[in-house]
Amino acid sequence: MMILLTGGSACGKSSYAEEICVRADGPRFYLAAMQPYGEEGMKKVERHRKLRSGKGFTTVERYTDYASLVLPARGTALLECICNLTSNEMFDAEGNESDPYERVLSGVENLARQSALLVVITNDVGSDGISYDPGTEDYIRALGKINRALAFRADTVIEMVAGIPILLKGELPL
Amino acid sequence: MVLILGGKGAGKREYARTLGYGDEEMSADVFSDAPVMTDLEEAVRKAPDQAEKLLEPLCKKELVISCEVGSGVIPLHYEDRRFREETGRLLLRLAREAESVVRVVAGIPTAIKGELPCGRS
Repeated sequence: MMILLTGGSACGKSSYAEEICVRADGPRFYLAAMQPYGEEGMKKVERHRKLRSGKGFTTVERYTDYASLVLPARGTALLECICNLTSNEMFDAEGNESDPYERVLSGVENLARQSALLVVITNDVGSDGISYDPGTEDYIRALGKINRALAFRADTVIEMVAGIPILLKGELPL
Repeated sequence: MVLILGGKGAGKREYARTLGYGDEEMSADVFSDAPVMTDLEEAVRKAPDQAEKLLEPLCKKELVISCEVGSGVIPLHYEDRRFREETGRLLLRLAREAESVVRVVAGIPTAIKGELPCGRS
């Protein structure tokens, strides 16, 4: 079972995702793809850690290559988030660009195979109508294509708006 | 309180008019007596550190109109990122308090919480 959650920043995706996971059985794994940069990044990680504390998650920090990750047990996994994972798989430390599509998709597929429930968080970055530099434009298109493939693969797709889940595919889990 | 959300130019204010509110009843100043608060995101942009204090006066309004600002590429500047985060968090709390939440897309209102308001009697 795979659930995809999308929505803008600070729309309540993480809280809702955690709520779904807490109600599901078994060991819970939080898969963190965000590389924290600087004080702001650390604060964000800290805020998310506080949100998750006491909910029984084992945190795995991993920025790339989910295709070779072996989860310790079958249970519930929460992957946050595809925007970061896509960017990590697309740009290396020197800023060289490559197509992240296969690496992200096979990574998610590997997690889905090992989990009774996989919840995946992504974001919609293509709706601001602004033209960016070529690298960012490539990123927007790559993420859009990945989101489409994930939505096709997922049993349930939900868009979050101001903390309210809007069902786009499947059935609402809560 | 009914929260009306949507993108820029989506028809949020026009929708408020169909509910029976005149332009003179709309204000972007949260502390005015107007029953309709408009441009909430701009109030947050002006004073992001004060966003939390807006919650109580906003809950006394009949309608609160705000742009959704969280979609798009993560902005380069800290102030812009902060503005998006604070607006999003305030909207989360407002939506929790609201009787109804209406999202307007291309002029079409959809109730995403509660019922579409019937307008003023």
